[in-house]
Amino acid sequence: MKRTVVAALTAILALVMVAAPATAYDKSSPAAGLPPVLKVGTEGVYSPFSYHDPSGKLTGFDIDVMNAIGKKLGVQVQYVETPWDSMFAALGAQRFDVVANEVTFNDERNGLYDLSDPYVETTGVVVVADDNSTIKSLADLKGKKTAENLTSNWSEVAKGAGATIVGVDGMTEALANLRQGRVDALVNDKLAIQNYLATTKNPGVKVVAQTDDVSRSVLAARKGSGYLPQLNSAIAALKADGTLTSIYDKYFTAKVAAPTTWELVRNNAWPMLRATITNTIPLTIISFAIGLVIALVVGLARMSSQPVVTGLARLYISVIRGTPLLVQLFIIFYALPQLGIKINPFPAAIIAFSLNVGGYAAEIIRSAVQSLPRGQWEAASTIGMNYATTLRRVILPQAARTAVPPLSNTLISLVKDTSLASTILVVELLRQAQIAAAPTFQFFAMYGVAALYYWVICLALSAVQSRTETRLNRFVAA
Amino acid sequence: MSTLVTVEHLAKSFGDHQVLQDISFGAEAGTVTCIIGPSGSGKTTLLRSLNALEIPDRGIVTIGDCTVDFATITPGPRGRLPKAQRELLAALRAKSGMVYQSHNLFPHKTALENVIEGPVVVQGEAVAEATVRGRELLERVGLSAHADKYPFQLSGGQQQRVGIARALAGRPSVVLFDEPTSALDPELVGDVLGVMKSLAAEGWTMIVVTHELRFAQQVADQVLFIDGGLVVESGPPSEVIANPQHPRTQAFLTRLLEPI
Ligand SMILES: Nc1ncnc2c1ncn2[C@@H]1O[C@H](COP(=O)(O)OP(=O)(O)O)[C@@H](O)[C@H]1O
Ligand SMILES: [Mg+2]
Repeated sequence: MKRTVVAALTAILALVMVAAPATAYDKSSPAAGLPPVLKVGTEGVYSPFSYHDPSGKLTGFDIDVMNAIGKKLGVQVQYVETPWDSMFAALGAQRFDVVANEVTFNDERNGLYDLSDPYVETTGVVVVADDNSTIKSLADLKGKKTAENLTSNWSEVAKGAGATIVGVDGMTEALANLRQGRVDALVNDKLAIQNYLATTKNPGVKVVAQTDDVSRSVLAARKGSGYLPQLNSAIAALKADGTLTSIYDKYFTAKVAAPTTWELVRNNAWPMLRATITNTIPLTIISFAIGLVIALVVGLARMSSQPVVTGLARLYISVIRGTPLLVQLFIIFYALPQLGIKINPFPAAIIAFSLNVGGYAAEIIRSAVQSLPRGQWEAASTIGMNYATTLRRVILPQAARTAVPPLSNTLISLVKDTSLASTILVVELLRQAQIAAAPTFQFFAMYGVAALYYWVICLALSAVQSRTETRLNRFVAA
Repeated sequence: MSTLVTVEHLAKSFGDHQVLQDISFGAEAGTVTCIIGPSGSGKTTLLRSLNALEIPDRGIVTIGDCTVDFATITPGPRGRLPKAQRELLAALRAKSGMVYQSHNLFPHKTALENVIEGPVVVQGEAVAEATVRGRELLERVGLSAHADKYPFQLSGGQQQRVGIARALAGRPSVVLFDEPTSALDPELVGDVLGVMKSLAAEGWTMIVVTHELRFAQQVADQVLFIDGGLVVESGPPSEVIANPQHPRTQAFLTRLLEPI
């Protein structure tokens, strides 16, 4: 569900961006050449094409190919890791110049982007359990059960052959279903399956047939980039001198053992903790602090006697609460660059989360303040306090008592919401877990560790919350 | 004796409802003025006007050397009072201390903290000095043992006495009491009235809205009977309470003395 929303959103953003600025970009970059530092968008969690090796280094088939192309052309290649769902939005927003991430050629894409010549071709393969001897071709799938991702074109291929489709999330899950005998076969990408076979000790499955359709992977740039002649000549040269073949063999033919789950957890516990300490926790703390300041200002503005001020505060709260946080993040990160405002991932995430916390906490603060009797304001005013002093000395300390439990909920939600920053290129805990899991498809283990870390943070916050509540409750009858 | 408080032609409406029609009276320094009158007759509104918690439509209030002509107090274009007017109201407010029907103590502060909050935070008195004075004030209202308790740990009468100490802490010229005992259990009323009586004996100027006729008779120098937004009858308690002239005063006192 979330993926669909993200995808739809990205599609809209991408269309907007492709429509408008491509021509403007032309002027600034002469058609003749590539920039001296070529920025390349890639997923970083799409094994074996683009992922991180156990030492944390970005690697993969597409990365090796792109490095070879850069070397051939004499340009430096710099990678910008971006989730697939926002890849083309980020390309449009000029976060990078080229996408190297198994972009499949099709006519629609070709109309929207500059697409290079293919650097690898793949096809579909039919995969069955080792002991299956009845399915030998695509046609044999008729009446059989296959496990497919429902949005992939493999699902269409299997359906076309007469198979019954069992919907799954991805290849790992499809393979698990196949090994466990819940389905008879699966149709998937040849390269991905070959890599699985090459890196898994006892795969338990075998390839029995290929499909007819061939899909070609290409590099994508903004329309009118002027990069294509050079990119294509480099690809041709790498084909001719055998470089492409040797990179291919490295990933899809050679037998390399994948790490065990335990090794994976051991290798990644620290990098994930580091991502938590350097990104997840600072994101949470800074955003919450700024958000509280915003909330205080907006919450008080909401109670103002000036209709314009109240109206603006209401509008802000309504927009923040009425739109998904993910959309807010995307607008700040991908849409603002269209207006010439380009913000780096971390500050963009801080801005989005702060604004979001501000909207929710404003209402919490407002209702806490309004729940106090009028007499408190009047008593303060009678002893000579002005508005600001009354707030500071009388109102807010009492409002805090009512506001702390709901504010704690907001904070605890925020801890988990920071995982959304992974969609705008912040390498926080969830993103680090994806990076760790990608080469081995061991998502369960890595997400399990991530969940544990989030949980521990939230436990600590709950403890702080109950201590704060006890402290604030000291002046009321038990 | 000199006149400390003067109220001239005070008028206040809430929408169509004219609560104060035309109120005038004076109070000498060191005297106790008791205000009696039926519920809804505008007693609280009058008291709040003296403290500028309510802005009357018209009328002049003088307390000591501070005079405010409320006809000149008008909000600016955006509904906010101009700075000079706000300062004038603050000056008037500083002349009086207020004791509320529902004490309005700050629940997150101890008795002592409630008392010294104004002196320390508003008047900038040193904490040590204010604390000494605050403890004296609490002793004066019979609460020296309860200085460090929170309001919820005190009885209603004790809370109200902390409220009195807090009102005195700002060194006001006049202390305003709005039915200080009517929210209390009957057996707690005596303590609070006792404190007020001793304050009167010490020479504090007090304006007290109350239904405690015995207190008014014993302590008041003058009694105002207010009804329909007007001072219907005024004079010493021996006249207004013991021998009322106006039929509305008589009717009110009869109802108060013989509720059934
Ligand atoms: N802020 C206000 N808005 C509207 N009406 C009010 C307000 N304050 C008081 N009133 C009305 O003014 C009248 C007098 O109130 P009040 O001064 O509290 O009377 P009293 O203290 O003599 O019982 C009542 O009818 C009350 O409803
Ligand atoms: Mg009243």
